[in-house]
Amino acid sequence: MATDHRRDFIRRSLATLAGSAAFTALPAKLALAQNARPMLRGAGIDYRALVCIYLYGGNDCFNMIVPRDAGYAAYQATRTNLAVAQNALHALSPVQAPIGGGQFGMHPEMRGIADLFNAQRAAIVANVGPLVRPVNKTTYQQPGTLLPPQLFSHSDQSVVWQTPRADTTARTGWGGRLADIFFSSNANPTLSMNVSLAGENVFQAGQTVLPYFMSSSGVERIGMIETGAANCADGGQGWNRRRCLTFNALQNATYAHPFQRAYANRMRATRETTRMVDVALATVPRNDPVFQPFWTAFGLAWNATNPPELPDLGEQLLMIARVIRARDALQMSRQLFFAGIGGFDTHDNQLTDHGPLLRQISAGLKGFYDVLAQPSMALTNQVTAFTASEFGRTLSNNGDGTDHGWGGHHIVVGGSVIGGRIYGRMPNLSGNSQTNPDDAGWGQIIPTLSVDQYAATLATWFGLGATDRAAIFPNLQHMTGSMLSIPGPDLGFMQAV
Amino acid sequence: MGRRHRAAAALALLLAAPAALAQDAIFADGFDNRPEGPFTRAEAQRFLTQATFGPTLAEIDRLLAMGYNAWLDEQFVATTSRQLPFLDQLIQADIAANRPIDVWQDKRQEIWWRNVLSGNDQLRQRVAYALSQILVVSDQNGALEGNPTTLAHWHDMLASGAFGSYRTLLENVTLHPSMGHYLSMFGNRKPDAALNIRPDENYAREITQLFSVGLVMLNADGTPVDGNPAQAGVQPVPTYNQDTIRGFAHVFTGWKYSTCIPPNTTSADPNNNLNWWNWEYCSSQAQSVSGDQDWRLHEGWRTPLRPWGEGNTVRGEVYYAHEGTKQLLNYPGVSLPNGVLPSSSGRTAGSRARHDLGLALDNVFNHPNVGPFIARQLIQRLVSSNPSPDYIGRVAAAFADDNGAAAGGTRGNLRAVVRAVLMDPEARNLAQVPANGGKLREPLLRVSALWRALDARSRDGRIREGWPEVYGAQAVLRSPTVFNFYLPTYALPGEIANAGLVSPEFQITTDTYITRLTNELGGKVYWAWIGNTGLGSWDPVQVDLSRDLALADQPAALLDRYNLLFLGGTMSAGMRSTLLAHLNDIAPNSWEGWRRERVQDALWLILTSPEYVVER
Repeated sequence: MATDHRRDFIRRSLATLAGSAAFTALPAKLALAQNARPMLRGAGIDYRALVCIYLYGGNDCFNMIVPRDAGYAAYQATRTNLAVAQNALHALSPVQAPIGGGQFGMHPEMRGIADLFNAQRAAIVANVGPLVRPVNKTTYQQPGTLLPPQLFSHSDQSVVWQTPRADTTARTGWGGRLADIFFSSNANPTLSMNVSLAGENVFQAGQTVLPYFMSSSGVERIGMIETGAANCADGGQGWNRRRCLTFNALQNATYAHPFQRAYANRMRATRETTRMVDVALATVPRNDPVFQPFWTAFGLAWNATNPPELPDLGEQLLMIARVIRARDALQMSRQLFFAGIGGFDTHDNQLTDHGPLLRQISAGLKGFYDVLAQPSMALTNQVTAFTASEFGRTLSNNGDGTDHGWGGHHIVVGGSVIGGRIYGRMPNLSGNSQTNPDDAGWGQIIPTLSVDQYAATLATWFGLGATDRAAIFPNLQHMTGSMLSIPGPDLGFMQAV
Repeated sequence: MGRRHRAAAALALLLAAPAALAQDAIFADGFDNRPEGPFTRAEAQRFLTQATFGPTLAEIDRLLAMGYNAWLDEQFVATTSRQLPFLDQLIQADIAANRPIDVWQDKRQEIWWRNVLSGNDQLRQRVAYALSQILVVSDQNGALEGNPTTLAHWHDMLASGAFGSYRTLLENVTLHPSMGHYLSMFGNRKPDAALNIRPDENYAREITQLFSVGLVMLNADGTPVDGNPAQAGVQPVPTYNQDTIRGFAHVFTGWKYSTCIPPNTTSADPNNNLNWWNWEYCSSQAQSVSGDQDWRLHEGWRTPLRPWGEGNTVRGEVYYAHEGTKQLLNYPGVSLPNGVLPSSSGRTAGSRARHDLGLALDNVFNHPNVGPFIARQLIQRLVSSNPSPDYIGRVAAAFADDNGAAAGGTRGNLRAVVRAVLMDPEARNLAQVPANGGKLREPLLRVSALWRALDARSRDGRIREGWPEVYGAQAVLRSPTVFNFYLPTYALPGEIANAGLVSPEFQITTDTYITRLTNELGGKVYWAWIGNTGLGSWDPVQVDLSRDLALADQPAALLDRYNLLFLGGTMSAGMRSTLLAHLNDIAPNSWEGWRRERVQDALWLILTSPEYVVER
């Protein structure tokens, strides 16, 4: 009886998947690409993961990476009371200067990233932002120029950053579309290839693949039906078995309303996945000394019995590291993770509020990298972390903060990053909006690299072929010409693995 | 008269409800119905699901007796259940007892729960909750997290304005110190070219994008205007551009606490008398109060902001940008020529900032988008995620003119808008609800519905439910960002998105939270019940199972009651037979708690079922 039930359950799940509109709506190009893709089956073989660190609110990257040469004067004149002190910057010593030259330093709270950069394990990608077509100040001001919709709006630009489809209102993310292609590389058909530590996001939403959501404290089960000897689906005789069977019967009934189906599907997928993740996480406890570099990076004392809590992003990256360490148990060979922290919308109190956030990014990523570098992990070349944020902020100052901008700098960390370099061109920091050639009009910097290029470079490293790349990033073909600091589909900051 | 309506009701019932459910227990009335209905208990239940924090048996019968219109008229004038007096009372008690003041955001949540669970102004509180998700401020903000009283005052402002003018509400929102801090309009300065300082655009951007007109021009039914019908698809027309944002940003300058010390003399000498530190470090404490007053009692946090220097005819509003014209919204029929606010430098100093603010808010309020933009969101919060354009159009028409087709009406009367939302055929008549109508219930409303239906209470009357976001991903005035707990446009990827539907509440229905809320409802049903000795000294809100324990030996009758209370009589035959078999399986006398187990299982299995969780 119980075995039959289980089989029923699986059959129903498959039927749901095959019959759903989502499956049939898969674009023809993608469906074709899917037939031709390499199958990377097998646990632990050729592992590869991307980790997106989303900075909610629009990070002020012009205070994150600051000129430390003669260029500092222009920066200081523009930023006035918001300027970061020149002598407090951590010097960056690139093996290759950015286009247009200049020497730069990292924000005083970002020692960890500066060290990774100087060890060629991190790169900076300069002035990236959403574009439909490359633009400069002249074309920006011309009527009829194709521009991303609703520039400077949080909600819209964060969607465009994650899709990146500045030409449409489509809401699938590039990570989701990537997973639509690669999810069957994983031997595990249950756990989503995309795991989010920071809730719902556009980046990981595909046509068929939905992310699995967990929290940095782990996963939880439904106590009223999943405690006891065994859960009902496995035929156990636990004290809550009867309730569990009725619960399942109600969830698994046929429903007329799409919301009812969606709710029941989510409940079913959650329970199945959670059971699996829970078991796997037990094999990689939080206090395993392999994770100690996180505490070192944050300057916190390690305690093998009960390590103290890390700042938010630290805990998220720690949980990602644990899931990666459990990859064999989970039978995952391709994964996309999403972490995120908020607070970057520094309209006011920027000097007080911004530093601690940058510190979380820096210490979090340094700890994460060092964990991957532990001999028992040895995954630095297999895992790449990168930042994303809806926009950079205005060069100009509103008294004690900055407003919504456009282009911004981003950080990529990992052993496969061709690090120690600043890719692209750093923008002109002059505060004169009229004469600054990079200024769209009010301190908002026109991007000289597109999010499409940034994302496609990462996706290519992940294993995406040229044909699929054109399907996933349809605007990439337009990212050519001299208005971009680096033209073409690949910015060159990732090695092939 | 009464007879004819009963006949109509019976017909509607045949059309709308599964015949198997047409049982006396649910549908019998015995009242002389009002012509507009409700005609059945099931209809009354459905209305109360939309208009209150959860139906009770008593309220279902009361509504059935009163009729919708009388009930609405009663609710429109019901006295506001306020939050601030409760917090002030706690603070004063701590002060009187000479102990540290233990009043934080959890106490603000407590008085919210108390009001929504037992307040007589249910509709007012429900609309205030909806408004709090459109006009967002949040305690997840450095300036507000330690200040529960200003947020209580904010909520009281929403509740007391829930049936007033939207224009008034916009002004109260703009000038509230909570909003001033949340979106940094407070202390926003006029431009200073020498220092490369220009006005902060935060509030300018969100009042337009989120509180009034949205990003694209709308037709009267909420559909986007097509800027180029010749081209395939809809080409949206932006409502504003960056110049507009800059214009509004300049208007929203110069405002500080009402308690600030203004420029301290009427002398025209700019060198002596402009004490900038009075602006920069001005106090929220009333100058009439001596000594150090706790910030939670400060007058400046509970009175509208004021332009610094207002009324000073010589110095004027020193930090207000009165020079220069300001581009505001431009739209057909705009009253300022081309939407441009002229410079107010010709006006008497000290009267400029407020004058310009008034014109700017009029400019926002009269934009044709406001009706359909706000209508859609109020419908989404109260009735359905995907209202038809006709439904939005009808509610927007009520926004445009509360007098309907007759002349002499008023724009922006929320009382008329709320009535239109709730009395629309698409809201009232189940037979007219589209196949995809309704919405996913919000987590807080799932908890409040349980507690109200089972008269839940703690032993000492307090409500210790200060952090519901831990299980529900939402708590009142605790959104993670100004974009609320979910976006009104969020579409769950897959079937829902592909069908072109939106499903805001699914944005917080992640693996983590679907599990936590399911568990939490389990705890509230199986653990927190009155009489459970296992609670020891812990005193949470507890459901009262006693009324329903009396039906434990009649599982069919128990299910009928819960079908009415929670599902408005719409429980499917399949769900009913599954539950009935389950309850009958819990054999009498097998152990002493079998009665309770039947009631608890019925509750929890219904409250977590897809049929209940999606409200139609």
